[in-house]
Amino acid sequence: MSSVAICEELDFAIDGMFADVTPAGQPQSKEVRNLLNIAVALREMPRHEFKSRLGLELGWRAAGRPLAPNNATSVFQQGSRLYPVQGRSFAYSAAFHSAMAAAIFLCFALVKVQPLMQSASEHTATMLQPYIAVPLASGRVSGGGGGDHSKSPASHGELPRMTAQQISPPVVQIENLKPRLAAEPTVVGPPDTSTIAKNQLGDPLSKLMLPSNGTGIGGGIGSGEGGGVGSGRGGPGIGTGIFHIGNGVSAPRPIFTPEPEYSDEARQAKFQGIVSMWAVIGSDGHPRSLRIVRSLGMGLDEKALEAVRSWRFEPGMKDGHAVAVEMIVEVDFHLF
Amino acid sequence: MNALADAANERLLIEAAQQDPTRFAELYETNFNRVYAYVARRVTDRAEAEDVTAEVFHTALINLRRFQWRGVPFAAWLVRIAANALADRWKKQSAGKELLVEERGEEIADDDPQVERNAMLFQLVERLPPDQRLVIFRRFVEQRSVREIARDLGRSEGAVKQLQFRALESLRSQMKERP
Repeated sequence: MSSVAICEELDFAIDGMFADVTPAGQPQSKEVRNLLNIAVALREMPRHEFKSRLGLELGWRAAGRPLAPNNATSVFQQGSRLYPVQGRSFAYSAAFHSAMAAAIFLCFALVKVQPLMQSASEHTATMLQPYIAVPLASGRVSGGGGGDHSKSPASHGELPRMTAQQISPPVVQIENLKPRLAAEPTVVGPPDTSTIAKNQLGDPLSKLMLPSNGTGIGGGIGSGEGGGVGSGRGGPGIGTGIFHIGNGVSAPRPIFTPEPEYSDEARQAKFQGIVSMWAVIGSDGHPRSLRIVRSLGMGLDEKALEAVRSWRFEPGMKDGHAVAVEMIVEVDFHLF
Repeated sequence: MNALADAANERLLIEAAQQDPTRFAELYETNFNRVYAYVARRVTDRAEAEDVTAEVFHTALINLRRFQWRGVPFAAWLVRIAANALADRWKKQSAGKELLVEERGEEIADDDPQVERNAMLFQLVERLPPDQRLVIFRRFVEQRSVREIARDLGRSEGAVKQLQFRALESLRSQMKERP
């Protein structure tokens, strides 16, 4: 059969498919029947405009913005071409909006406006909320110190003053003795913390007295990375560096999770639920610093802690390195 | 090995979207055809399929933070949302007709192989040459006649029929190559 004849037969069969009838002149050739199977499935294909439009809507919604204004249909045209205008719905909508507009107009027209008596006193606001550290754009919210690749570890000393924003990292050994613009060395932390150094700067946890910025990198004091003080990485603060999940830090994955035991009391009462606890999953995959944040009682909290202590995780990763990550661990107590 | 790599990539995508919802677009692109194919098999008209599909992705976006990776493909979660959305619709439509709801409820099978085939087919259509793709969309989505398409494109009816034939032939051969 020539290709022109097949094209004709195929098109005839497709017309029949749309009309829901089997075209006369059966039987169709095997090739046409095979292609018709594809054609049947293609009838369920989504409209390209719908896919793009929905993607756009989701994008707007994900960005926390209201839906695009041309989403609405109009009585004068087909609106976005995605949703056809439904006359009755439009009429209800128009009537409702007209009534609301009339009600608002009546409110303004009928209510007599009186000038408000305003108090002349002045108020002074006192900020009572505690200091909240501002996360850096890169998501590095943990503290940690750097150093200058010295061969000896960081020396003992006092912490510099804490500020909300760091301009210059602390150093023990100053290399540039005549900076063009001198700035006080600080670390990021609660500004009201009284850590004004009177003596030599350094790592308070170190026992070494030989002046050294430490073996790390990043300009601070310590064995980690960053402009802070300590052994952590990635921040201008202080500490050992505990990361939040996200922004380049992957979540630890549980790899060994023995089931928790049920307490006798809870089993008898047929009590079920979830115990949530805050935990730091170390770079070695061991959970530590466990703290119950949602308790169930009836002895289940203790059982949950006992179970989670024996769990093992694949540690969270940042830039290809295992890091300590804080996360919420949930233990589900379920009776079957 | 590929399946493992795909799963790892999908997990990374989900985690990224959970932290930054604007990254949901990638999950949407990957799973749109699968969800639409699932819904379209279970509703009678295109408008309803679009409504349900939109509902599924909006629900998924809202609840994304609650999704926990347990090694099950993300598509399975979306399909479960779709199944629930369809069940809700059917319940509303057939209030007081429990029998109908139960009957239709049985139709919800998450692993319908035809859904997978259709999703794959829709994906392949997007990779057709532009002129063939246009003819396929006009003919099967808009359900226009060959004469109308020929008039719109400024080509002969014979040429449009040839494009239609070549497109279907290409889709069929590609579908045969896939498992």
